[in-house]
Amino acid sequence: MRPGRLLELRVRRSTAIAAVLFGAIIAYCVLFPLVSPYDANGVDFTRSRQMPSLHHPLGTDTYGRDLLTRLAVGGRTTMLIALIALSAILAAGVIWGTTAAMAGGLVDSVMMRLVDGLLAIPRLPIAIVILVALRLNAQNVLTIALALAVVGWMQTARLVRGQVLSLTSRDYVRAARALGASRFEIARRHVIPNSTGIILVAILLELPTVVLGEAFIAVLGLGPDPPTATWGNIAQDGLYFARLWEPFLASTAIALFAISANVLIDSVDEMLDPRRRLPMRRERRVSSAAV
Amino acid sequence: MSLTAFIIRRLLWTVPVLLCVMLATFALLRGAGGSPFRPPPGYSGVPAPLQRELSDFYHLDDPWFVEFGMYVKNVATLNFGPSMVVRGEDVTDVIKRQFPITLQLVGLAALVSLPLGVGLGVLAARRANSWVDLAVTSASSLLLVVPVFFLSYVLSRYLVLEWHLFPLGWNTSRSKVLPTVTLALAPTGYIARLIRVAVVETLQEDYVRTAHAKGLLEYRIVWVHVLRNSLVPFLSSAVSMLALLVTGSFFVERSFRVPGASSAFLDAAFTRDYPLLMGLTVVLAVIVLLANLVADVLLAIVDPRVRDAMRS
Repeated sequence: MRPGRLLELRVRRSTAIAAVLFGAIIAYCVLFPLVSPYDANGVDFTRSRQMPSLHHPLGTDTYGRDLLTRLAVGGRTTMLIALIALSAILAAGVIWGTTAAMAGGLVDSVMMRLVDGLLAIPRLPIAIVILVALRLNAQNVLTIALALAVVGWMQTARLVRGQVLSLTSRDYVRAARALGASRFEIARRHVIPNSTGIILVAILLELPTVVLGEAFIAVLGLGPDPPTATWGNIAQDGLYFARLWEPFLASTAIALFAISANVLIDSVDEMLDPRRRLPMRRERRVSSAAV
Repeated sequence: MSLTAFIIRRLLWTVPVLLCVMLATFALLRGAGGSPFRPPPGYSGVPAPLQRELSDFYHLDDPWFVEFGMYVKNVATLNFGPSMVVRGEDVTDVIKRQFPITLQLVGLAALVSLPLGVGLGVLAARRANSWVDLAVTSASSLLLVVPVFFLSYVLSRYLVLEWHLFPLGWNTSRSKVLPTVTLALAPTGYIARLIRVAVVETLQEDYVRTAHAKGLLEYRIVWVHVLRNSLVPFLSSAVSMLALLVTGSFFVERSFRVPGASSAFLDAAFTRDYPLLMGLTVVLAVIVLLANLVADVLLAIVDPRVRDAMRS
């Protein structure tokens, strides 16, 4: 067999492993709370800080809550936050990117310069400012998702704009325009069907960032109010009582989720367009997971 | 476009972006409503006469655009005004006191991670697809995905609090070791991965084969010819690198009790000290935008095509 084929096989295997891992984490978070005999928020100090055992495979936290259950429920909340944030990012990114691309000229220039500038500013401090401003009442899933969306829509807007621009300059789109197709028709027949792939990638790209961002925010004490479990809140609970176990579990969950998501994004990207296999894109993706 | 024109254009674009950031921060903090004098839990609050003084200084009783305009004018003259929570504390003093510490921390971490990351990346690329490559790539990926709060907690707890190998704080050079190393870990992994990909790619170029053919020494090819080409991806990811460092500084400063700007930022956030929070945000934005500007200008020097991208 040629070495190239072997390499191809390895890529597919890593994709398969990532897909299984990604699916398993989501299935665990969604399904396990349904079958678990424990309540994720049920405080029972008689079972406080137990070591892993048959009854509690991951032990219990300071409040005596089963960590296997709590990690699943926490993951579910984190994913809910991610889902809301990603939907908002999608909406903002598509609207901003398409408007800029369609408007062109000075409007486009101003809109994209602004995005570039905002992109340069680290997300965490701005998210903190947003949460502080919103913290008139209690912090909840929605406010955190909103804060994460406000600091995370710029990259998507940039990708969408680039895609729309490159599509509208293609010959077949120009031909359609020459044949008298309206702007709406061009958008419906050519731009939107050919953009779903890159938009999907753009959104998935933000997934690890949003999950990690939730954890950062929660660890700084700005997460959803207790006893709500999120991966970040579980880490914060442990850190508050100077315990290593909970942040270790939460960090592991986040890291596995982020890595599998990243590998999956690469595969989806390559599957959608093999010509776009630029290594630099992959590196940017890695960075987005960490920032 | 000439380089000067590029720099001027790029510089001019920084101003509206900065103003947008200021306006957004201002709108968020002041638009959220409520009196800015609500004392946070554990603080006695500001007495009425001082409240009046502060209201006058910040034009709190005027329309928002007057308030914002006066704030921008003050900031332009580097007068960030007094704190609204801590009596007698001036925001400018806090900035002067704590920003240099964070800059030093971030600078030192960058200084550590740069040679380390480049070295690891080149090492992995030279032996691409060997076990060395696998080890370096796995390690650098791990450094990137392990959340920084976990690392800084583990290191501060064991190396500082339990085994007393290093002191807390930022006074002695010994106390600076651990925060710097902790903050440098994630960027090291990032740079290593970046450089590895770039070098592997460049090693396959024709001119590298030519260099080999004309008998250049291996190390000269890698360190002079190949690495020079990694400058472009390296400089274009300066923003991500800076974000890694800034995000990390929040957790590192907290774990190791470093009295830097990130801790001041968190304190200001929790006490809702809005002039302090705004001042710190503005200075952070200025520093980040300037760093980004420098990276872009360097990029435009290295790769002139970037200048033309600016025109569109």
